[in-house]
Parts: sequence; C-alpha cells; structure tokens
Amino acid sequence: MPKPTKGPRLGGGPAHERLMLRNLATALFTHGSITTTETKAKRLQPFAERLVTFAKRGDLHARRRVLAQVTDKTAVHILFTEIAPQVAEREGGYTRITKLGYRKGDNAPLAVIELVLEPVSPKAKPAKAKAEKPAAKAAAEVAAEVVESAEEAEEVTEVTDEAVSEVAEEAVADAAEEVEVAAEAVVDEAVEAGDKE
Amino acid sequence: MAVPKRKSSRSNTRSRRSQWKAEAPTLVKTVEGGKVVYSQPHRAKVVTDSAGTELFLEYKGRKVADV
Repeated sequence: MPKPTKGPRLGGGPAHERLMLRNLATALFTHGSITTTETKAKRLQPFAERLVTFAKRGDLHARRRVLAQVTDKTAVHILFTEIAPQVAEREGGYTRITKLGYRKGDNAPLAVIELVLEPVSPKAKPAKAKAEKPAAKAAAEVAAEVVESAEEAEEVTEVTDEAVSEVAEEAVADAAEEVEVAAEAVVDEAVEAGDKE
Repeated sequence: MAVPKRKSSRSNTRSRRSQWKAEAPTLVKTVEGGKVVYSQPHRAKVVTDSAGTELFLEYKGRKVADV
C-alpha cells in the first residue's frame, strides 16, 4: 500500500489531482513510457503500481476496482491482458523513473516514467553472499600468509647474502693491509741496507 | 483591487533584490575517455556522435528518451 501523500495536491485541488493521476496512468498503460515532470512522475508511481497489482490478481472484482479509477476501457484491457502477464514474476517495482533535463518554457525538471517489462533477473540473495564472503576472506588470509612467509624467506636470503659479502670484503681488506705492511717492511729493509753500504 | 499606498523606497527595493542569488548546482566529477567531465548526478545525459549531433538521452547505458 502506498504511503498517503502529505502536503498540497497537484493541480487545483484533490479532485484535480485524482483526474490528473487517472489521465497519466491511462497514458502510461497505453504507451508504456511517458515524459512528464518529476513531481507528477513521483506521484504517479505508487498510483500506477497499485493498479498493476490489481491487474496481476486478474479477476473481475479487481478489473472493476481498476475501472473505477481508470475509466478508459482500452487502457484497462491492455493492462490486464498485456502488461500483467509480463510482470507476473516481478515482486513490485513495476515502473521506473529516469530524470531527464529541464523543460525549455518553464525550466521544470522532466522525467521519464516507464513500465519495467523486462524479464526478472534476480540478484544473488544476501544470505548466500554472507556465506561466500567468509570463505573468500579465509582464502585471502591464507594467500596473504603464504605471501608473507615467502617474503620472510626472501629477507633471510638477502641477509645471508649481505653477511657473506661483508665477510668477504673484510677478508680482502685484511689481506690488502698485510700486503701493505709486508711491502713497507721490505722497503725499510732496503733502506737500512742502503744506509749500511 | 488592493493597491500599494506608497511608493516602495529605493532602499527597500534594493534590500529585497539583494536576496536574489544564484545557486551553484552540485556536480559530480567523472573521467570519460581520459577527459574530466562535470555533470549533474542521477540525470540522463545526451549522447552525441563524432560530429556533435545530439542523438538521444542515455542513463546507465540505456537509451531513455529522444532529444
């Protein structure tokens, strides 16, 4: 059941609004899609969807209740025989409003309201999604752990490489120092020898 | 018919008119084909061909209306 409208009616008064909604609904059912102002489209949406619900029920009583609101028999016939079977699987939301630009004359925001006649393609239910999410999380965690351990291993190898290279460098430096010392000793000896001569 | 008794003063007129202000529309920033585009949120856009001719109005990949 649509929420009752608060605030002022469309047009001149309650009767004017009722008539306007009837005419808009008639146009919507005959054409499938109409361009009107945003406000009118928003008011029409619950009204038209309620009529579609009656049409889905499909019995004579429902038809008479619709005919009390939409007086165009052709439109009601289209609603009951063409539109109702197409939305049989749909659980509400029979119309769609898309906002367009602004009208040239009075800058009024326009919108298209259309019947949603495409076959229903249900989304994955939230319960299923919840079940999938923990599994995905667990998989992600395992993957992360594996990656971390791999990274740690890499770090270890790097450390060892560094240690090895440092040791080697030190050894090389020590050797070089020894060589230098030896060379100096040789030079000193030579000098001493020269002095003696 | 009700008629004003006095001429509205220049001060009153100007004070009233100082409240006429333009409002900046709220826009959303999107990147389309490497270009930054500012557009109104939740509103259909006009699709143009390479020559700039307006073809139709599109919203979320669906054609919604003719221009």
